[in-house]
Formats: sequence, structure tokens, C-alpha cells
Amino acid sequence: MSGKDKKVHQVFQGTLDLIVLRNLATIGPQHAYQIATRLQQVSDGLLNLNQGTLYPALVRLEQYGWIKGSWSKTESGREARFYAITVAGQKALRAETKHWRRTSQLIDRLLVEGTRA
Amino acid sequence: MIKHLAGAIAKIQGLFRDSRVEEELAKEIATHLLYLEEEFLRQGLSRLEAHRQARLACGAVEQVMQAHRDERSFLWLSQSLQDVRHACRSLLRSPGFSVAAILTLALGIGANTAVFSVVNTVLLRPLSYPEPDRIVQFRLNSTEGSVPGASIPDFRFWLQHAEAIDDISAYDLGEGLLGLTSGIPEEVHGVHVTSNYFRLFGAPLVLGRTFSADEDRAGSAKVVVLSYWLWKRRFGGDPQIGGKAISLEKEPYTVVGVTDESFRTEPESDLWIPFQFNLNSIDQLHSFGAAGRLKPGLSLSQASAQLRSAAQAAQRQGLQPDPDYTFVLEPLRDAIVKDARASLWLMQAAVGLVLLIACANVANLLLGRATVRQREFAIRAAIGAGRGRLLRQFATESVLLSTCGGGVGLVMGSIGVHALLSISPGNIPRIGVGGASVGLDWRVLMFTLGISLLVGIVFGIVPALRVCGPSLNQSLNEGNQRLGSGSSQGKTRSLIVLSEVSLSVVLLIGAALLLHTFVALRSVNPGFDRHNVFLMEMSLHGSQFATTANVTRLVEDARQRIAGVAGVEIAAATCSPPFGDRMGLPFAAIGTPPGNSGSNGDAERMSVSPGYFAALRVPIIRGRDFDEQDRKAAPGVVLINETMAKRYWADKDPIGQTIEIGRGIGPDFEDTPRQIIGIVADTREHDLSQPAEPTMTIPLAQEPDGMTRLGLQFGPIFWLIRTRLEPHQVAVNVSEQLREASGGLPAGRVRTMEEILSHSIARQNFSMLLLGVFAMAALALTAVGIYGVMAYSVAQRTHEIGVRMALGADRARIRNLVIGKGMLTAGLGVIVGLAAAAFLARFLAGFLFGVRAWDPMVFLAVPVLLALVALFALWIPARRAARLEPIEALRVE
Repeated sequence: MSGKDKKVHQVFQGTLDLIVLRNLATIGPQHAYQIATRLQQVSDGLLNLNQGTLYPALVRLEQYGWIKGSWSKTESGREARFYAITVAGQKALRAETKHWRRTSQLIDRLLVEGTRA
Repeated sequence: MIKHLAGAIAKIQGLFRDSRVEEELAKEIATHLLYLEEEFLRQGLSRLEAHRQARLACGAVEQVMQAHRDERSFLWLSQSLQDVRHACRSLLRSPGFSVAAILTLALGIGANTAVFSVVNTVLLRPLSYPEPDRIVQFRLNSTEGSVPGASIPDFRFWLQHAEAIDDISAYDLGEGLLGLTSGIPEEVHGVHVTSNYFRLFGAPLVLGRTFSADEDRAGSAKVVVLSYWLWKRRFGGDPQIGGKAISLEKEPYTVVGVTDESFRTEPESDLWIPFQFNLNSIDQLHSFGAAGRLKPGLSLSQASAQLRSAAQAAQRQGLQPDPDYTFVLEPLRDAIVKDARASLWLMQAAVGLVLLIACANVANLLLGRATVRQREFAIRAAIGAGRGRLLRQFATESVLLSTCGGGVGLVMGSIGVHALLSISPGNIPRIGVGGASVGLDWRVLMFTLGISLLVGIVFGIVPALRVCGPSLNQSLNEGNQRLGSGSSQGKTRSLIVLSEVSLSVVLLIGAALLLHTFVALRSVNPGFDRHNVFLMEMSLHGSQFATTANVTRLVEDARQRIAGVAGVEIAAATCSPPFGDRMGLPFAAIGTPPGNSGSNGDAERMSVSPGYFAALRVPIIRGRDFDEQDRKAAPGVVLINETMAKRYWADKDPIGQTIEIGRGIGPDFEDTPRQIIGIVADTREHDLSQPAEPTMTIPLAQEPDGMTRLGLQFGPIFWLIRTRLEPHQVAVNVSEQLREASGGLPAGRVRTMEEILSHSIARQNFSMLLLGVFAMAALALTAVGIYGVMAYSVAQRTHEIGVRMALGADRARIRNLVIGKGMLTAGLGVIVGLAAAAFLARFLAGFLFGVRAWDPMVFLAVPVLLALVALFALWIPARRAARLEPIEALRVE
């Protein structure tokens, strides 16, 4: 466990939802393994994502009606559950992104203020 | 917000298709792992290592699935369901315990449900009229007491001056009986009312109309409104009945309307006829009740204040019609419930104590069980169950027990309450015949559910705290198996027994005091012979009974006819029998100054036919009884009772004195001066617990016509018959003779004097019976509790007892050890109970008669009884302890 050279990040619950949504909106329907691999690639390994934690997020998003899961075949012919973003999901993505930006800007500004003082 | 709503809906849906989701999830995760494995294989790991790494990367499958479950469902709900399932399993594993606990709780909850359903019906359920809380009854208060009755001048005053009250109406108080003489004669409940009555009580009609204001006037047409039930029963629901005449008291009345099925008055009535009294009358007789509706927006206290100031203004001008009284308003429901309120709340409090004792017993059972299960809980804690979760498990089990108990109790209670009320209806208003109106409604259901849950939490929490306390993981240690017998656990159990004993003492003392009261009341000598006398009633309303002479003729004829019936000794007639309504009137001895001094005052007045005192076997102490010669034309005579003689003629002989009765009260009361011809013995004729009132009795035949009319308007005439046989054997023949004598009027409602006396103490009988049952139940539960605790303690201390025996303690000593310990706890409980009872007895004082609240006999006898019961309960475990074989006892771990 120890000896990792890169500092890894834990993800807040809400942000994981946002990342998954963004991912599905950009790439299109994916199954859980694809989402996990993709998140790790994009974050360049900075995201310490135990892949199992993806599942509760997926259930949550599906229950909100933001994504929809359905079974179909992969290229390799396996049965897998593919998740696709819904219209409501896209709307939520826009709103959540805006919300996130505002929050992070605010925190940024507060942190900068803090160093000046 | 929307997303949470959507989430909640999805979770609820999830409850119903859980298994499919589980399957799909397993499949999904399996695919995921396959991909990860392939990835690791590609990186050059061995198959085994790839398999391992895949699981590391993804997390343990079971944990992922659990996280998924937690996320997709309501966590608390699934955990609760889990708890309930677990609780069911664990209770089913020990059926003996479960049945004992459920039955104990069912007893406690059932008794509470039973009493509450009566409380609910009488005190809580609103009257079945529109906006019942705004209907108020007029009441007259004076220094000597309070009467719900009104006189015509009062009524007129209220109509004119009670501006805060709408729809003021008059109606008969009590149950009026009228002879329905169409077809087969029958007595029905008929009420005289004024026309506003139907508006006040919001009576819906199925047919016709109610009375018009014109029909309120004296001397207008005789009309009647029928109740739905009488219309259906007697007139076959005839839709053409409007305008037809029916015969009441042999006089034709025109039916003008029929009320709707939903209109039920309290007390119930079959028909209504207009009072048609003369509003200008100045009669002071308080003979009917009056009620009205608070004007919109006014509170009871505002309306009362308005009425008070109007009366005070009138008082100053000398225009207050009843100067001795102040007018007050009270909610109609209170007027109906009267003094039943206090005894019902008393019963509810008493039955609450029974429930507490039942709870204590079950807590004891649970505690014993919890000790046995300590290892189970320790293991669950060790593998990750939080303390909160364990507490919840405990609470779930106890609430499950208590709701099962509540369910059984609900059934037991609703059956029990009807059994009880049919044995002893207790003269409680609003409960219907034999308690028919007492039933389950949402209030009773909520009450039972509420106490079930509360009880489950309360008695569940004690053992739960004990088990989940700090010593939890110690119990995993091998050497600590006898932890349950530790001293703190023992203390909890002793405390439980102690409180049970003290609660029982309180209940037993209450029951003993009420029993004492009842016995004392039963043995009160009412001053007349209650055996082999019965009463029959007959309503005489028609114009043929408008004069005293006509009534006298009927009475003389009927007395002769009845005397001819086999088994009859003597018969008499009166309008005011024992335990009936009496009129109080002022009197003044001729030749003494007016005012309430010397031989002037107020006394009860009644009129009787010859034979009345003989029929009741009330001795004439001095002077003579009435006879047939005391007719209208003969000189006026009066008999007074001993109390009146002593109070007003303390130093003189009243016999031969002349008094005037009711002078200045009103024209109907105008009476000739009467000479006192004798003194009769005192009788208790209102309330066995109260001494006789000053009473003057005049011959029925000398009654002023106005008084005869008044008396018969407001009540029936009573036939009083002393028999040589059992009264009911001759009642049929007597009623036959009465019908012939009266030309076909029905005589009904046969009541023996013994029944009347029992009825007069029915409330005390009810309270005594109920509290007695509660006290016995409490005693039995307490005995079981003491037994349980000591039996358990002996089992736990087997090893110790073995050691003691090995060291030389003999069997008697061991037995005494157990008994001593048990009796010490019981003794402390008795002391606490006595203190509590001494404190609470003051609340009982108002219910007692012939016994003081701190009666030393009761306060001595109850502890002795409890000690005996405790000894009995201790005997079995004590003997078991004494019979232990030392060797075997030492082997017990």
C-alpha cells in the first residue's frame, strides 16, 4: 500500500457523480469497467478509485433518473450493463457543473485571500 | 429536491424487485472482474495473481454488493426488516418465554383498552350533534348546590337577556315515558321540547317539518315528531304518515315530521311533542332543562360573563326571576357525563398501574433472557454490530412482543369491556344499553397502538442497557460465565420486584377501601323495607286527568283492584317514589314571622295515597297515617319526617301545628293551610350515603289541581305494590288490573325496590368490581414476578449454595436465606407502597363512605395479605434451594 510516489486523491461523493456524468456525456454509453478505466486514465492515476465504489454512485444516478442502464453485448461478445446519460442527466450535468465551478472559484478566492492576510 | 423524490420513489420500487436487482448486480460485478483480470493478464501476471489483483482493485465482492444495497434502498428500513426477521426467529425459538410475555402484556394492555374504550365513549367522543362543543346547558347554582333544571320564568329571562346564546330551547330532563296507545299500548321515550330544539341539535328530517313557533304556544294543536326508528318499527315507515293522527295517552296527536336515521339524541328518544307551556307563568318549579348554542365567535367564558352581568343587572332592579340562584352555562357533554368523569379517570389511573406491573414482569423475563443471550450479543458486537444496532435489536424484539400483546389485548379488551358492562353497567351515561355504544374507534386503536409501542420501548430499554453496557465484551471471556448473577443485575431485578410490590399495595388498598365503601352502603338501613316491593309506572297526560279528583278516582279504583290480585298485600300510588325526583318547597308555620327561622324553611314535598307508608313499612312514630277520609273536602293534613320535626320544632310538639306550603311561589302552588297530624320515620331516599332530608308528605287526594297537572306533565304516576310472593310473579296481573282501571293505559317498567337500591349504588359497585379485578390481577402478576426473580436467583446461585452447604450450612438455613432475601425486597416494596397509598388515598376520599381514606384496618390487612402471597411465591424456589445436593450443586458451573 505504501511507497506510492504520487499523491492520490479521495473523491467526494458528489464529485464522483459529476465526473461519471461528464464522462458518459463525452464518450457515450459505457459499462462500469470502462468508466473506471477511463477515469483512471484521465486522472493520470491521481484518482484513487476503488472500482467497487463506482457501483453505489451508479445506482444513485440511475435512481435520480440521470442515467439509464441496459444490458447489451460488448465487442468481445460479453453481456455487460451499459450506462447512458439521459436528457434529465444532461440538464443536471449542466447545473451541477455550474454549481461546482462556482464553488471551486469561491474556495479558490477564499484561499487566496487567506494567504494575503 | 426532485432528485431526492425520484430517488425515494426508485427505492420504494426497489423494495418489490430486490431479488432481480441482486442477480443483475452479481452478473455485472462478475463481468467487471473478468475485464480487470484480463487487464492484469495482459500486464503479464499469472492467472492466480491476476484474479487476486482484480479483486483488490475492485474491492471485496460482498462489500461492493452491500454498498450497492445500502445505496439503492432505505438503509434504516432494510435494517429494521432485518431486525424484525431476526426478532421473530429468536422469539419463535423460545415459545414459552414469548407466550408468557405476550399474555402478560395482553392482560395489561387489554385491561387498559377496555377501560379506555369506556372513557373514550363517555368523556372523549363528541356528542353526535353538529358543532357539539358549542351547545351549552343552563344550570342554576346556589349555596346549597347546583341544579340543571329551569323554571318558566328563568327560561323567559334567558330568551330575553342571554344575548350570547342562540336557539335557546327547553326539553325534559331524564327519560320521559309516554304511553303510545295506537294499536297495542306501549311505553315509549317521549320528550317535551320547544320548537328551537330541532334547530339547536341540528336534527335532519326524512319527512315533513318540525314544530313551528306557533305550536309552542299554550293550547295550540297537538302535534308530534317521530324518530326514524319508531316510525320504522311501529308505523312500517309509512311515507304518508305526515298529517295522520297517532294516539298518545289516549289523545290524538298529528304527526308533522320524522327525523332522519342519523339523528340520535342522548339519552335516546322515540318521539317529541311540544311543551306548549304558558311563557307568562310565574311558577318557580324547576322542571325542565334548557340549552342553547354559543353565538359564533363567542367563547363559553364570554357567554357566561354576559349572562352573569345580565342577571346582576336584573337583580338590582328586583327582576331576576330566581334570586336564590346564579345562572351558569356548562358544556352539554359535561352536563350529560356529570360525576361519571371522576370515577372513570380513577379507573384509568388504576388500570395504568396494572399495566406498569405487567411491564415490570415482562422486563424481568427479558432481563433473564438477556443474560442468557449475553454471549450472542457479545459475538455480534465482536463482528461489527454497533452498540446502537444492538440496542435497536433489543428494542425491536420488545416492541414486537408488545405489539403482539397489544393485538391480543385489543381483542381481550373489547370482549372484556362488554362482559364487564353487562355484569355491572355502573349507571354510566352515554354507554347505551349494556354498553352497546362502547366500541372501537380510531381513538381506541391509536391508544392501544400508542401504549403498545411505549410499553415495548420502556420495558425493552432496561435489559438492553444492562446487556449492552460496558461489560459487553467481558462476557466473551470463559471465566466470566456467571456474570449475569452479578450484584448490579441482582439489584435491577430486586428493584423491579420492589416496584411491583409497591404498585400492588396501592391497588389493593384502593380496592379494599372501595370494597369497604360498597359493603357499608349495602348495609345502610334506608329506613324502609326493600324486600317484596315493586314499582310500576303509568303516564297520565290526557285531559281526563287534569283534576285531582279524577286522578284520585283512578287511584282508589286501581288500589282496590290491585289489592284483589293474589299475592298482593297492599298497593299505593305516588308521583315521587324513593330515589325519584322530589320537589323542594318553602313552608311557614301559621303564626310565626316569615324568614328562614324557627318553624319556617324549605323541605322536600311529596304526595302519596293511603297505604304508602304501610307498603314501604315506614313506621309512623307519632300521630296517625293518612286514610281514605283525608279527601279534598276534608281539612288539610300533612305528615312530616323526624328530621323535619327535629330541625324546625326542636323544643315544641309539631303535631297539631298548622303550616302553609309553597306560598307565593305561583298560582299552581296555592294550597290550603295544613295541620301536622303525625311524624314518620326518616328514610334515605336519594342517596344511601346521605342522611334524610326534611320532608313533608300530603295526601294525593288533597293535591291542588295545578300541582297534579304539573306533576303528571313532568313524570308518570308510580304504583307501589307490596307482595307476599316474589314481585315479578304478580306484576303481570297487576298491570292487567291497572290497564282496566285506567281504561287501557299501559303500565310498565317494573322495578323492585331492591333493584332500585342496587341501581342507586351501581357506580360504587362498578368501581369496586373493577378495582377489585385490577388489584387481583396485580397481586397475581406480582406473585409471578417474585417467584420468577427468586427462582432465577436460586438457579444462578446454585454453586454458591453448594459451597455454603459444603461448609456446613443446613437446609433450613439455606431455605431461610432465600426466603429472607425475597421477603426483604417484598417488605421494602410494601413500605414504599404504603407511603404511596397514604399519599394517593386523599384522591379516593370523595369516593368513600363508611370508611376513612387512612383506614388502619385496610392499611394493616393489605401488607399482611401481600406478605402471605410473597411467602407463597417464595416457597417453591426456597424449597428447591434447600433440597439441592451439595455435590451436584458444586459441579454446576
